[in-house]
Amino acid sequence: MAQGVVGQGVMLTPVEIQVLQDLTIVVLAPLVSGAIAHVEARWQGRRGPRILQPYYDLAKWFRKETLVPEDASWVFVVGPMVAFMCYLIVPLLIPVLTTYPLPLGYMGDILAGGFVLALGGFAVAAAAAETDAPYAQLGSSRAMTFGALIEPTILFITFVVALVTSTDLPYFEAAAARASVAQIVRPAHILAVVAFFLVVLNDTGRIPVETHAGTLELGMIDEARTLEHSGPLLALLTWGSAMKQLILYVLLVNVFAAPWGLASTRSAGAVGLAILALLGKALGVGVLFTVIDNSFSKLRLFKITEFMAAAFLLAVLAVLVLFVGGS
Amino acid sequence: MGWDLVVILVVPGVVGVACWWLPPRVGRPLSIASGLLTFVLALLLVPARTPSALHGWLRADSLSVVFVVAVGFLYLATMVFAVGYLHPSGGPTHQARYLRRAFAGLNVFCWAMAVAPLVSSLALLWVAIEITTVVSALLVAIDDTDGATEAAWKYVLIASMGLGISLLATIVVYYAGAVTIGHDYDLFYPTLLAAASRFPPQVVRLAFVLAVLGFGTKVGLVPVHTWLPDAHSEAPTPVSALLSGALLAVSFYAVLRYFQVAVRTLGPTFPRDVLLAFGLASLGLAALYLASQRDLKRLLAYSSIEHMGILAIGMSFAAPIAVVGVLLQVLAHAAAKGTAFFGAGSVVRKYGTKDMRHIRGGIGALPWSGPMLVLAVLALSGMPPFGIFRSEFLIVEGGLSDPHDAVVAVLVVLVVLAFLGLSWFSTKTMQTPTPKSVVRGETSKWIVGSMVIGVVALTVLGVHPPGQLSDLLTRAAAELRAPR
Amino acid sequence: MLLAHSVILSSAATVPSTFAGVADALTVLVLLSEFAMLHAQLSRSQIRLYAFQSLVVTALAVYVAAERHIPGLYAIAGITLVLKVVVIPAIVLTLLRDARVELVASHRLGVATMVLIAIAVSVFGIFTAGSITVQSRSLPSGALGLAIAAVLVSFLLIVLRSDVVSQAVGFFSLENAVSLTSLVVAAGLPLIVEVAFFFDLLVAVVVFGVLMRVHHSHHDTLSTRQLDRLRG
Repeated sequence: MAQGVVGQGVMLTPVEIQVLQDLTIVVLAPLVSGAIAHVEARWQGRRGPRILQPYYDLAKWFRKETLVPEDASWVFVVGPMVAFMCYLIVPLLIPVLTTYPLPLGYMGDILAGGFVLALGGFAVAAAAAETDAPYAQLGSSRAMTFGALIEPTILFITFVVALVTSTDLPYFEAAAARASVAQIVRPAHILAVVAFFLVVLNDTGRIPVETHAGTLELGMIDEARTLEHSGPLLALLTWGSAMKQLILYVLLVNVFAAPWGLASTRSAGAVGLAILALLGKALGVGVLFTVIDNSFSKLRLFKITEFMAAAFLLAVLAVLVLFVGGS
Repeated sequence: MGWDLVVILVVPGVVGVACWWLPPRVGRPLSIASGLLTFVLALLLVPARTPSALHGWLRADSLSVVFVVAVGFLYLATMVFAVGYLHPSGGPTHQARYLRRAFAGLNVFCWAMAVAPLVSSLALLWVAIEITTVVSALLVAIDDTDGATEAAWKYVLIASMGLGISLLATIVVYYAGAVTIGHDYDLFYPTLLAAASRFPPQVVRLAFVLAVLGFGTKVGLVPVHTWLPDAHSEAPTPVSALLSGALLAVSFYAVLRYFQVAVRTLGPTFPRDVLLAFGLASLGLAALYLASQRDLKRLLAYSSIEHMGILAIGMSFAAPIAVVGVLLQVLAHAAAKGTAFFGAGSVVRKYGTKDMRHIRGGIGALPWSGPMLVLAVLALSGMPPFGIFRSEFLIVEGGLSDPHDAVVAVLVVLVVLAFLGLSWFSTKTMQTPTPKSVVRGETSKWIVGSMVIGVVALTVLGVHPPGQLSDLLTRAAAELRAPR
Repeated sequence: MLLAHSVILSSAATVPSTFAGVADALTVLVLLSEFAMLHAQLSRSQIRLYAFQSLVVTALAVYVAAERHIPGLYAIAGITLVLKVVVIPAIVLTLLRDARVELVASHRLGVATMVLIAIAVSVFGIFTAGSITVQSRSLPSGALGLAIAAVLVSFLLIVLRSDVVSQAVGFFSLENAVSLTSLVVAAGLPLIVEVAFFFDLLVAVVVFGVLMRVHHSHHDTLSTRQLDRLRG
């Protein structure tokens, strides 16, 4: 490595950065979850778990045996793995660390990323539906229902990206936002950011859609899906959901809200800084979500459609505003 | 110098405010005097001249004068009627406080309606019409019954929505003018009309549709008429008479002002088609509803919608004579509908109900106002020798010479249908034997007097309109025509 | 990479000016507060939303006045601020306090359905306005569509909610939307006319207030559902 130090420091190959990008998500995801849980506990006046607790949990679950319900088929086992794989693929498509697209960045656009994420969600739901447990099935059916309801919003956000950049590659949306302040204050962008924020609230199972740390099964959506899994499978599910959360945060900050602090060169220093910046931004978003979590109450299940309607409204308005004035 | 315009701008308003404080015995003669003054001044405007005052903010061209005359006449007649109707003998609610408020409201209402045609800017026209809404909504609610409250709420809500739309129309016209003339102009008619041919047509088209829809709510054009029957039936009778005879006409005047601009920019076809569509809908719906009414005042309200429909249809005919007919109809309708409501007020006072199933033998019970009510209703359904016969005849004649034969056929059929509805009322309730239980005799001399004024005016308009009035109508019709 | 840069450059070229962006954002805020009124459960929060909406309109007027050098607009903004942000909400809130009613079940439809209808109506309004070309000297012309959409949504507020406060607030916010339209197409309406409009609004508010009071004293509720006696 020492030989590579030339002027700006160690230069990494694109492939190395690509791998690093995936590793960042995989490794940092439990840390972000742990930090959020910790902050949340402090916010509520509790001492809270250690920040590194999720790693200990994962390690513990990997050491345990796997219990499979009698009636469950192979889907029960494969589902969590597929989901985990999906969450490994998505980071390849989005600007996690760099402003410039990496070799596999052209592999898929926003829609592809969305589909892969959705496939992960479907795999989890399918695995949960394999069991006879009513709560797990309830959770998987609810998750799919609300996922379908939030889908139009995501579609319209994609339209916004497409109209702004004439492509639907997340790298270009981020670059356009970085290019000028006018881009950030244009109403379409603001509306799309807020709409996407609501989508993230929904997809990460936060209040007002769901109490993410609750123990009341009747109100659960995402959480209920993992109730029947144990051992390494549970570890994969938990890890996967932490990764999904971080991926959504990355999309929120690096594509829409604050696409700064990414590495624009291939030097190791810049990439390292980008990792730190990403961690900081993800924690910032996490704290924001925690604040929302503690300031609002959960909506009744049948009122969630209002939440969806609000998100949809914002996304539609974003497109309309682009249409009427090109702004 | 148009000192007469300034007097109309000041006196009724001041009288209205004074009536709020003065006891009714002073307020009554004052109101009649104010009505008389306004009417006389309006008549003095009839000869050909175009006075203006206050740096051009007030201006009376022939079109304005037609409507000022209508309002002035109804102002006088209604005040005479109100003296008899709004009387402590009228019921427990008619106490001094109520009477003071009612007279104040009536005067201010008439003031706003008389000023609306005199202001020379589209923007102030909107303001004047909004004031009529505000005052008349309170007047509709003044009886404080459940029905009156409901009617007033619906009225103020729907009319306000309409006025919101017409405010939009005002702004859009301003924009059309600003593009052409520049930003520093005050929407004065002469300026607008002189430049109208150069306005952007798309924008004027939007403005005209908005104006017809917006002011149309107050005219009572279907489908934005829904407040009208309720407000007319639940309001105190003098208010109903003013609403129907004057307010609808003044709102129609606002539509005509937009029509003037629109024909200059767009040519006559588009504005006429819009008015034709609204007019046919109004006439058709009203004719159907007339046949099935049990409430006396609602019957007259639907008759108003019918007549407004006829006005709109008349405007859609190209022949100038049809437009003369429309303007004559404005005057005749004011007289006829005023008289009819006065008669209805007399009947309601006598029988204590508006339900026509409980009203029998009106002619016998009311030796003067009964027959005059029948005459007014006959006049409303277009019978000679009254003014509406003449005006509808002119409209039909204009339609036939246009030629708009199909529309004229529909018009005639619907008018006949409306005639059947109205005459069913008159035979059923008025020309039947009077029940023994009903005491014969008029309730008030003043009510009879107001109806005499109305019937005389109707007859004059029908038999032989004064030459100067005919000239006025011809000139006003010429102002409404698209210049070549 | 080359492709990427060219795309980025071309998209950057279509980015509107900061003025247009801010103006459009404020216009969108007016429309959004209209939606929020449609949704709001408490009469009180509806009135506050109205005050907020008026504040946004004021801010927009000031911004346009400063950027486009139309001094008359400052006066209008001042009157708007006093009347629509302070006086009118205060009047209605006082009436509401006297009525001692907080919550009126007045949604005729589910919230999501209402929002979807309102979105459809807004789309209609925006595309209708888009079909006419308007050269505005004060605001980006796209704002016209948004203003028209706000007008239409305020109609929905009157039609789809059945309590007197919603309907009154619907009318007031209709007026807000119309003055927004006038900011777009006719900034610089003669001052006397503007003042007349304001005066008129104030009178209308008093009338709405009186009628709300009368309604409450008759029916002992702010709901308008039992106003169905008169028909035919």
